[in-house]
Amino acid sequence: MVSGKSAPSGRRSDGGANGTGRQTERWLQVGVGRAMAHHGELLQGVFEGADGRLHRGLITLPLAAQQSLVTFWPAGEDDIRTRPADRGKAARAAALTLEHLGFANVGGDLTIESDIPVGHGYGSSTADVMAAIRAAAAAAGATLRRSTICRLAVEAEGASDAIAYGDQTVLFAHREGRILEHFGGEYPPLVVVGFRTGGARPIDTLSLPRARYDGQEIEQFRVLRGLASHAIRQQDPRLIGRVATASARISQHHLAKPRFEAVAELARAHGACGVQVAHSGTLMGVLFDADEGGVTTRTTALAKTLRQAGFKGIVTFAVNVDGVFLK
Amino acid sequence: MSGGDDFLAAYETPRLARLAPNLFAACFPLMKLLPARFMLERAQADGRLRSGGPVAETTSGTFGLALAMLAAVRGFDLTLVSAASLINDTLRRRLEFLGAIVHIIDDPEGSGAQRERLDRLNAILKDRPETFWPRQYDNPDNRLAYGRLAEGITHEIGHVDCLVGCVGSGGSLCGTGGFLRELFPELTMIAVDTHRSVLFGHAAGRRLLRGLGNSIVPSNLRHEMVDEVHWVGALPAFGSAHRLHHDHALFMGPTSGAAALVAAWHARKHPEAVTVVILPDEGHRYQNTVYDDEWLAALDGWPVAAPDEPETLDRIEARGESEWTRLVWDRKPAPTMIKAERGV
Repeated sequence: MVSGKSAPSGRRSDGGANGTGRQTERWLQVGVGRAMAHHGELLQGVFEGADGRLHRGLITLPLAAQQSLVTFWPAGEDDIRTRPADRGKAARAAALTLEHLGFANVGGDLTIESDIPVGHGYGSSTADVMAAIRAAAAAAGATLRRSTICRLAVEAEGASDAIAYGDQTVLFAHREGRILEHFGGEYPPLVVVGFRTGGARPIDTLSLPRARYDGQEIEQFRVLRGLASHAIRQQDPRLIGRVATASARISQHHLAKPRFEAVAELARAHGACGVQVAHSGTLMGVLFDADEGGVTTRTTALAKTLRQAGFKGIVTFAVNVDGVFLK
Repeated sequence: MSGGDDFLAAYETPRLARLAPNLFAACFPLMKLLPARFMLERAQADGRLRSGGPVAETTSGTFGLALAMLAAVRGFDLTLVSAASLINDTLRRRLEFLGAIVHIIDDPEGSGAQRERLDRLNAILKDRPETFWPRQYDNPDNRLAYGRLAEGITHEIGHVDCLVGCVGSGGSLCGTGGFLRELFPELTMIAVDTHRSVLFGHAAGRRLLRGLGNSIVPSNLRHEMVDEVHWVGALPAFGSAHRLHHDHALFMGPTSGAAALVAAWHARKHPEAVTVVILPDEGHRYQNTVYDDEWLAALDGWPVAAPDEPETLDRIEARGESEWTRLVWDRKPAPTMIKAERGV
């Protein structure tokens, strides 16, 4: 992940000023980091933690085809500047990471190249933050645990998602940046037809009010978590589809997607496993079993129908499937 | 809360027994601990019950036992109201050893004295207005408590086509089934009742099979969720409990016998469907009755020839204790069904 020549810059804060001349200085290099987008969630709600208390949590649906690529160029001891200019959270994340790794007062340039659309629930901001953390770590020649990346991301942004865990399925407390449950497996093989509902205008997803779930919903989330665990253990796309649909239905009481029932009906008619949504965003996705015969024909037909119905940003992508599957 | 009472969770956590390739039984040591704990914790959370505060309930069975266990461990002050025909000495002594105060109403004709029990309970509530009355028949937290059972079922079994359960308060069947239907809307729900219980339209009368059925209709029973109702007489229920013990080494109570009888029949009839049955308690309390040959020999009609299948009725009709009947209820609200029955 390290590219370019060594660039003298910030120095490790301990051991630098002992005057013995035998300093253990570590120099920063140019570092590159990547993070992928997500397509909302398969499940989102509140869940009991090991402490017996309720925590907000989610299972992310990863979208690997779209990524944020961040390069950190260390230079001087002033601020970290970003390109584009207004990415303060990514700059803060890079600074926090360097501080965590023992480098104080590091300045430099952070270049963010991302093809993730902003403001629909694809997690563009979090992807920038995660990629910035990885770029800063690479600059220091360090590797970071996923849990550390998440903790730093929450510190920089106030929330995070499970994208740091990539293809591992976890129930993730996004406000706290930590795992509630490792499901201990990869995602069941899925093909997703994703699209945007409602207005094409981006929204500030982080400033949306938090859903207030009632007692019925809180107990229902237990049952959804149980089925999610089973579906991942058995690698069963049909059952993970049931979880996603039920979670999306609960989400309708909090951040309703227009024409939800019409989409659910289309999903049924096309033999899909279920529907998922971005619980804070405008995205919806129809989930298909990637291993089922005729899946390409059915996803193509559905994408066409959705386009005719006026939905925007239609994209077909795969999760845990061989080969390239992007239209 | 005194804390450190996680061991109680073992009573409310069912073992899953696979009785046939497509039939799973959730076998509870004491199912009622699940709603009892949930109701008390919710009441404490929103201030209806203070720590160590008084709790009173009218009950004749395992819900009272569950409350008494919680009261003992968590230091609540518990009063239970029961009727002479409904409670035996063994249970009464156990409740009292756990520290509960037990009021027993005399009911020489064996009616269960529902009205008198409620009157006594109201007097207790009037005397100490801070008393928390869990009201298992009508408190919606009863149904909500079964999210944990539905979670266990989805976690271990995954897809479920049919849920079979006894109905008394309606909490376990309608609670569990309601949560499962959010995932599997096509889930078939089968209610197991007994003759002369009013839950599905019989006239109230003497019942030999206790622990399911009711002489009043609780609001936790949601008739519009039920696809099919079975009325199992006491004798086939006892016989089925014996077979569970003999064939599977599952030592369960008589209501579990009734539920298992219905579930096994449904699973045989639908070999492609996954059926789950709730078995609410163990056989220990019935050692001197249902599991005692002398006690059984004194029963009219015992030994019973075990029926292989129920008689399908086309109208609501109570039968004898040896009989097993069924009616397709078809998710109708209670008044619709019962009015149609009376030709209104």
